[in-house]
Amino acid sequence: MVNKNTKILIFGLLVLLGAAMLAYGAFFHSTNVSPQLGDDSAAIAKSEPALIKEASIGGVTLDESGKIKQTYTGKAPEACAT
Amino acid sequence: MVTKNKTGGFASKILGWRIWVQASFLVVWLDPLGLRMHTMCSPVFHCYACPLATFACPIGVIAQFGALHVFPFIAVGLLIAFGALFGTLICGWVCPFGFLQDLAAKVPTPKFDLPKFTGHFRYVVLIVTVLAVPYFFGEEHPLFVCRVCPAGALEAAVPTMAGQAMSGETIIWPSVVKLTILVLFLITIFFIRRPWCRLLCPLGAIFSLFNRVSAFFLRFDGDKCTHCERCHKLCEYGIEPEKTPNDLRCIRCLECTRCSPDALNLGNIFERSEAEDVLQENTL
Repeated sequence: MVNKNTKILIFGLLVLLGAAMLAYGAFFHSTNVSPQLGDDSAAIAKSEPALIKEASIGGVTLDESGKIKQTYTGKAPEACAT
Repeated sequence: MVTKNKTGGFASKILGWRIWVQASFLVVWLDPLGLRMHTMCSPVFHCYACPLATFACPIGVIAQFGALHVFPFIAVGLLIAFGALFGTLICGWVCPFGFLQDLAAKVPTPKFDLPKFTGHFRYVVLIVTVLAVPYFFGEEHPLFVCRVCPAGALEAAVPTMAGQAMSGETIIWPSVVKLTILVLFLITIFFIRRPWCRLLCPLGAIFSLFNRVSAFFLRFDGDKCTHCERCHKLCEYGIEPEKTPNDLRCIRCLECTRCSPDALNLGNIFERSEAEDVLQENTL
């Protein structure tokens, strides 16, 4: 049984951790995404919110070389293919 | 000795309205304004491919990012923050998929209980289909969570197929596994209360880990308990609340707080109990 002060401490640490991760992901974290066709020099950095949007429509995938590529050219799919 | 605290008093007032509280949250999740803010996750189980989805599903995001070998800071940070605040209160009061199961449970069919150990399956689903399979095998693997998820089947695949049928397009059917899980789900929700939440939900598995340390929790007063075991009957999920008030399997529907000796209440870690007030007075 966890006592009250320990609970408050754990709660505070968890909320801080969660908020820090949220803030980092929302404002700082980015990942390079290459177009479906073309070489890696055309890769652009996508923010995590943009990557969430792409992932939710199945718009990105990991290729054999470990690089993240778009799965479409032109108009984005409307929904996730799964 | 704990009297009905403010949080507990508020919870007991709205307890009879739980189904309406759940329904009111649909306004948040079902995108009535067509905003489609899929750059952000919600803390509930609702497929982002659903035509009526405001936010992205955190489980889908974690799995998709796992397949990309990218750490999902937003999804994980959101779940940690909400978990630390509410634990599985989100499951019992906010989640639309849980709400659907609660509505189905109101149909007067015979209800069956599940053995206690079945609650551990959720962690297997979380580790296998949300974490391991996406990371090691990618999103094409048949056990990738979105490929078997009944929420995706019901909320996305079914409306999509209906739209395709109405517009005369070729209907793209989901996989046999996904359809089978959906059919089984739609049958069991009338005979088992919250089967998805209790057996398989990976999001509930994550939130349950916070139940022992969350800001809001079930407070048990042993002095008030008369061992009548009424809370065992009030709990529809096979938990003995007076023994394990913040059980990992609990969805915090708070039905057990109807306990007449007021031994069980919703509390929060910032409220002082009567015992602490007495101690403070004696110290001063």
